[in-house]
Amino acid sequence: MDTVRIAVVGAGVMGLSTAVCISKMVPGCSITVISDKFTPETTSDVAAGMLIPPTYPDTPIQKQKQWFKDTFDHLFAIVNSAEAEDAGVIMLSGWQIFRSIPTEEVPYWADVVLGFRKMTKDELKKFPQHVFGHAFTTLKCEGPAYLPWLQKRVKGSQGLILTQRIEDLWELHPSFDIVVNCSGLGSRQLAGDSKIFPVRGQVLKVQAPWVKHFIRDSSGLTYIYPGVSNVTLGGTRQKGDWNLSPDAEISKEILSRCCALEPSLRGAYDLREKVGLRPSRPGVRLEKELLAQGSRRLPVVHHYGHGSGGIAMHWGTALEATRLVNECVQVLRTPAPKSKL
Amino acid sequence: MRVVVIGAGVIGLSTALCIHERYRSVLQSLEVMVYADCFTPLTTTDVAAGLWQPYLSEPSNPQEANWNQQTFNYLLSLIGSPNTANMGLALVSGYNLFREAVPDPYWKDIVLGFRKLTVRELDMFPDYSYGWFNTSLILEGRKYLQWLTERLTERGVKFFLRKVESFEEVAREGADVIINCTGVWAGALQPDPLLQPGRGQIIKVDAPWLKHFIITHDPERGIYKSPYIIPGLQATTLGGIFQLGNWSETNNIPDHNTIWEGCCRLEPTLKDAKIIGEWSGFRPVRPQVRLEREQLCFGSSNTEVIHNYGHGGFGLTIHWGCAQEVAKLFGKILEERNLLRIPPSHL
Repeated sequence: MDTVRIAVVGAGVMGLSTAVCISKMVPGCSITVISDKFTPETTSDVAAGMLIPPTYPDTPIQKQKQWFKDTFDHLFAIVNSAEAEDAGVIMLSGWQIFRSIPTEEVPYWADVVLGFRKMTKDELKKFPQHVFGHAFTTLKCEGPAYLPWLQKRVKGSQGLILTQRIEDLWELHPSFDIVVNCSGLGSRQLAGDSKIFPVRGQVLKVQAPWVKHFIRDSSGLTYIYPGVSNVTLGGTRQKGDWNLSPDAEISKEILSRCCALEPSLRGAYDLREKVGLRPSRPGVRLEKELLAQGSRRLPVVHHYGHGSGGIAMHWGTALEATRLVNECVQVLRTPAPKSKL
Repeated sequence: MRVVVIGAGVIGLSTALCIHERYRSVLQSLEVMVYADCFTPLTTTDVAAGLWQPYLSEPSNPQEANWNQQTFNYLLSLIGSPNTANMGLALVSGYNLFREAVPDPYWKDIVLGFRKLTVRELDMFPDYSYGWFNTSLILEGRKYLQWLTERLTERGVKFFLRKVESFEEVAREGADVIINCTGVWAGALQPDPLLQPGRGQIIKVDAPWLKHFIITHDPERGIYKSPYIIPGLQATTLGGIFQLGNWSETNNIPDHNTIWEGCCRLEPTLKDAKIIGEWSGFRPVRPQVRLEREQLCFGSSNTEVIHNYGHGGFGLTIHWGCAQEVAKLFGKILEERNLLRIPPSHL
């Protein structure tokens, strides 16, 4: 049986986790991760990495719940092991607060996170502008530690990691038998996908080690996410904005909104501005495509477009992408029917 | 009116502040002085992890439950002001773990969001089968004492490093009221067979990925004899030692190993934690807090003493309620001596 040569394009959380999944679940293949950017310069490095999932309008709720549950279970096992610190996964409790009572009081993921319940009246006193809230314990998975941890695992299973900017997926033919496209926003060019667009997010990463809880306004625009070595304050959602340079006015405004929720942040120090472009799409693109050019064929598995839910959904979608890769491998390994003369 | 507070731990300093805040404006003159043979960072308070949590069983003196509640409510009311980190104050959530079902604690409605642990949460702690989750407060001893010292200094309260050998010496120097906040060493000023040291040893580590407290309980062994992990504002405290009657001030290796092994079993990621330091301290253990007036006669004059010591392992938890109670007793003394310009309306 020949080794199937798989190229994974993209080394953010999708590319690396898919590479790891493939190495575990698809026998007889070689994996090469190819990207122009690696940690700490990927979008996944800017994300706070909170496991609070968004809702994709084009995806059935059951499927989203499965993706989130798979990711939560995978990271939960890590957080309870001695690897947690290396992998950058921590447990965090806190509150999601609402300015008006939501129509859906219990979100679809309530039984995936831990200890989910409504906030008590006493707890809500801390947030005088808000009238309702959720209290729960969830996970935070931090790119700057998690990505290197995944990279180690890729190399540990004899995977290769290459720095190269791919302008066209056909560059990978014929060196590779299957391409897994995890290029996020790069798919606008690489896959000719006009449905994917950036949603610009600016955040502040600050020192405020006394903050032990996350606080998220239900709009998703204002949030405070304490991490291992800093607290992420956010944020913005600027559709169609490709600008990667931080805006000082926006930083001031983010700090002000966060201080309104957590006044002790006025004492935060060592503020650093960061910008990430969420690879947004009405739904995650998780499907096979057989590229054809003349007599050339290139099977591609697309795995991109997670918007603000990258970290929260990554393992679940990586597992599904791996199943699709397996299907491609099966096809390649099935002997072609001999044509009768 | 000259008030001498003996002791500069959390009890001494908070009581001094409470008295000064309440009575400075209603007295013609109020001089408050703090005498202590040690100040932060060398007090018992500095060793404490600082988690607000009373003992599990109801106190024999029901007033203590009120003082605990008053302290929590007071500290909670400060959450939301910008200075909390400077005070050493923060909200913190976490787990209390047991090997079998236990009744809910009397303070379950004082803390926030108290609930039982779910099965999935208990799966994280294989040695335990029952537990609670709630949100409480951290009040870090060192930071809080520094903050109290600043507030007192602003008010003109003066501090003196001296070892007081007797109430008499302080009385003869002109003190009208003495507040005795000498903690575990109160017996040196007046024998108290009910007061004993409850020696504790703790290891402080750098483990910023830990955001929850985890306190285990072993009812057979007793309070604080089971591992606990309490994240502070910067460092995390590991503990689990309680030795009644042990006056040894030095850290010892068997206790270090007990703490380290117990806590690493509970939280395996601690193996990567850097140890910052190790400390021992004596919880001032007593069946009840001694909070009462006593009149002592030296020569021709009467000196009022208000005792405020014996807070065991819950000094930070109960301190403000006790300080207010002492202030109340102080107010009575002022009334009896006709010293109040305006009667304080809150008495």
